[in-house]
Formats: sequence, C-alpha cells, structure tokens
Amino acid sequence: MGRGMLRGRRAPVPAWAAVALGLVPAAVLLAAWWLLTRGEPEYRAISPVILPTPADVFGFVPRLLHTPGDAESAFWRQVLLSFRRVALGFGVAVAVALPLGTLVASFRGWRLTFGPTVAASGYVPIAALVPLSMSWWGTGEMQKVLFLALAFLVYLLPLVIRALDAVPDVYVSTAHTLGASRAQVILRVLLPVAAPDIWHALRLAFGVGWSYLVLVEMTVLAGGLGAMIFTGQRRSELRPQIYVVLAVITLIAWAVDLGWARLGRVLFPYREERA
Amino acid sequence: MSAQRAAAGDAPPVVEFRNVTLRFGDYVALLDVSFVVPDRPDAGEFVSIIGPSGCGKSTLLNLIAGFLQPTEGEVLVRGRPVEGPGVDRGMIFQQYSSFPHLRVLDNVCFGLRLNAAARGLSDPEIVERAREMLGHVGLAGHESKFPHQLSGGQKQRVAIARSLVLEPQILLMDEPFSALDEPTRLEMQELTVALWHRVHPTIFCITHSVEEAVYLAERVFVMSHAPGQIAYDIGDVLPPSLGVKPLDAQERPEFKAAVRAVTDVFRAVDRAPRGGR
Repeated sequence: MGRGMLRGRRAPVPAWAAVALGLVPAAVLLAAWWLLTRGEPEYRAISPVILPTPADVFGFVPRLLHTPGDAESAFWRQVLLSFRRVALGFGVAVAVALPLGTLVASFRGWRLTFGPTVAASGYVPIAALVPLSMSWWGTGEMQKVLFLALAFLVYLLPLVIRALDAVPDVYVSTAHTLGASRAQVILRVLLPVAAPDIWHALRLAFGVGWSYLVLVEMTVLAGGLGAMIFTGQRRSELRPQIYVVLAVITLIAWAVDLGWARLGRVLFPYREERA
Repeated sequence: MSAQRAAAGDAPPVVEFRNVTLRFGDYVALLDVSFVVPDRPDAGEFVSIIGPSGCGKSTLLNLIAGFLQPTEGEVLVRGRPVEGPGVDRGMIFQQYSSFPHLRVLDNVCFGLRLNAAARGLSDPEIVERAREMLGHVGLAGHESKFPHQLSGGQKQRVAIARSLVLEPQILLMDEPFSALDEPTRLEMQELTVALWHRVHPTIFCITHSVEEAVYLAERVFVMSHAPGQIAYDIGDVLPPSLGVKPLDAQERPEFKAAVRAVTDVFRAVDRAPRGGR
C-alpha cells in the first residue's frame, strides 16, 4: 500500500483537480470560521471581539480602501511603506551577505575569522533586538530598515555560505587545471554554480522577512501594516482590520514568492527541475 | 636553444619524480617514488596506473597536477618543479565535472577564454576550435545542451574535449570511466586511444581494470600500498591498440598474455605484506 502511494506521487494529475485540491484547506477553514461565528453575538462559540464574522472582515476591505480624510493613512500607502522597508532591509542584507559569504566560503582566513560568529549569530533572539534597535537608531525609518537588514543578514549569511560550500570540489579543481586564477574560480565557477541555491536562499529569506516586519512595526507610530495590526488589537471596532492585514501580508508574500520562483526558472534554465 | 637541445636528444623528461615522498601527518602516502617519462618528439607516452585502493594512485596524479606538493624529493615537469596547477596539465576526474551553468560549447570554450589573451585568440577562433574538438569526441550537434541533459559518457566527452582543446602536454585521468556502464566504457576507451594518437599528449590514466590498463597504455605502473610505491613498471608486453576495438583486442593472444602478466603482478602486490600500518 505504501509503495502504491509512492508510485502515485509521480502520476499525472489534471490541472483542475490540482487547483481544486489546493483550495480544499482554505474552503474548510472558511467554513469553520463561518460556523463558529454564526448567529447572535451572545450565543457564538467564539466572541466577536476575538473573531469577527467573515462578513465583518470582508466588509472591512472597502472601508480600508476608501479611507476618508488624509491620504497619508490610505491603506495602499501603508502597504507600500511596509514593502519599501522590507525591500530596503533586504537590499542592505544582500549587499553584505553576498560578498561576506563569498569571502568566508572561499578563503580560510575569512572562515576562521567569521565562521564561529556566523554560527553563533543564528541563535540570537532577533525579536529581542526590536527594543534595542530603538535605543540604537531611534524610531525613524532607519531603525526599521536596519533592524530588518540585521534579521535578514542573520538568516541569509549561513545559507549563502552553505550554498557555496555545497559546490563540489571537482569544479574548482577542474577550473584550476584549465588555467583559472583564484578570482576567476570564484567569479566564473563558484558563484555561478551556487547561484540557483543562493537564489533559493534569497527567496526563503524574503518570505521570512515579513514576520520581522510586523515585529518592528508593532508600535503606535510606526506606520505600515504592522502598526495596523497593533491598532486593530487595541480598538475593538477595528478588530477585523487585523484579519485583513494578515491576509494581505500573506497574499503579498506569497505573490512575491511565486515571482521569485518564476524568475529563478528564467535565470537558471540549467537547474534540474524539482517540484 | 630548446630546439637544439631537443635535436640533441637531451630534452628534459616530460615528467620526472626524484625520490618523492608525501606524508599526511604520520601517514605515508608515497615513499621514495622515482620514475621518468621521457619526452618523445612525435607522441607522448600513455601510462596506466593500477594498484589496490588507497595505494596513492590519485596522490601521484595530484602531485603532477600541482594540487599537492611533495614532502621530500622533487616532481619535475619538463625539468621544472611543479608549483601549482597549470594549463599544460589537463585533468579528467571520475566525478562529472562539466560546469552545470554552461552549455556544452561554453564548457569547452571555458579554458581557451580564460587564456585568450595569452594565446592571442579571438572569440570566433575559440568557438571554432571548441566545435572542432567537440566533433573529435563525437559530440557534434550537442553544442547548446546543458550538462544535465547529457548521459554520463557524454559528460566525460565534454570533460575530455574541454581539456584537450587547450593542447596540454600532459593529460591526467583519474578513473575517468569508472562511473560509466560497460558498453560506454569500451566506447570511451576506443575514443581515448584515437584522441591520444590525434593530439598525442603524455597521458597518465588511473584505472582499476587490468584490461583497460592493457588496452589503453604502452606502460603500466603497478603500485603497492601503505606506503605507496611503484612496485612494477611494465612496458614491453603491451600490444598497440590503435584502430582495434577493445572487445576485439581482448580476443588476441598477445593481449591475453599481457593481461595475464599484469594481473599476476597485481596479485603479487596485493598479497604482499603491508609495510607501515
């Protein structure tokens, strides 16, 4: 029976079935939500203060999209603000992680110097750095971007090093016998061969970044999507906002992830396909 | 001047080991190994290296390649001590080494492009040479494939073309066909002999098959292990194999006799009491 199931993993599935199956968990979740929040507020299984009805949440979307008054607080501006922070923090982290990771993976002196720090830094409780980052860098944009950069860096650096370490020695040796200098080995062999794995690491990191974004934005004046969750938590009439923002962040992160994957297939046509 | 020296017959040997010992800590990988592979004006020599596993066959190749330095003694290539890897010594490994991010043609162009300035080659000239070499190894028509689209034998053909296109004086092959299935192996043996006669570098080829060693080589080093030494250096019994398919060659009495002779030596070496550890 087990073997039959394994064989089934490779069997072709019609596209409509794949889509339908993929929607099942979302449909079950929605149905459960609807059931749990049915009827008069007093008799519900879960209080509306904790879990609003689907109608409340979906009804909240137009309200968010047509914010009256100042355009500063408009929803799409908050989305852009958050996206900008994630992207900037990511950019800074990549600008450090790629060269540093390459040096650590390529040269013994760099590995001996930075290896232990990189290994240990994976265990720093990043969340605890949020208050610290405020005392270091204030409460402006720089603090948010630099905190995110730090979080991205700690996540990314070991993955970059591991991707480069995974390049088989035979490529490096071969390049040397073909007359490559050390720099040529790094630039023309090590990095290109590791590139699909590095790309995968970037993709994973970018996705994880959204969790850190919410963390650093969870103050009243921070602005962005995290702050919207924060205010939604403090004011019960804005409770549905939390769920909308949750869904928006998830959808944005997912869409971006699909973009990474698709771009990866274009950039690295030589990568053997894996599911 | 070097032409005069060659004419006078005193050109330095292509490869010379002078009392080479290599230790890794307490472990003696090679002990006092000496041999000479002379410089022949027309064609390089084909040396097969066989021996029990762990006897230092790869170590010997890595010393010639320049990946390792001897602890004692001297490794000379054309009279000069080896200081590191270089384009004059190509190397083919057992593991597939075609760069996965480059198409077949670009894999073969790789070395020439790195050395384009030194050799005064334009890119069209490089591509032309690479295409010609791909034709010699039987890969015409596969130029724009990526390595993952090739079979194991085809990947080794890419590796061979990529090395030979640089016209190395020495080609080092470390069990190049061990990962291939039997029919492909025989095909590759025949191809190797044909290419050797076409490009005539000096070839050192490690193998664990006596038949392969006898078919390919003019000279066989049988190594003993722990410490690694060249126990026997066999040359005179080996029949030439150009233009003869491996399976046909194996039917011949002189081939069988050579295989028998080398196998006996191999067995004697394998059964000998081990020194060191």
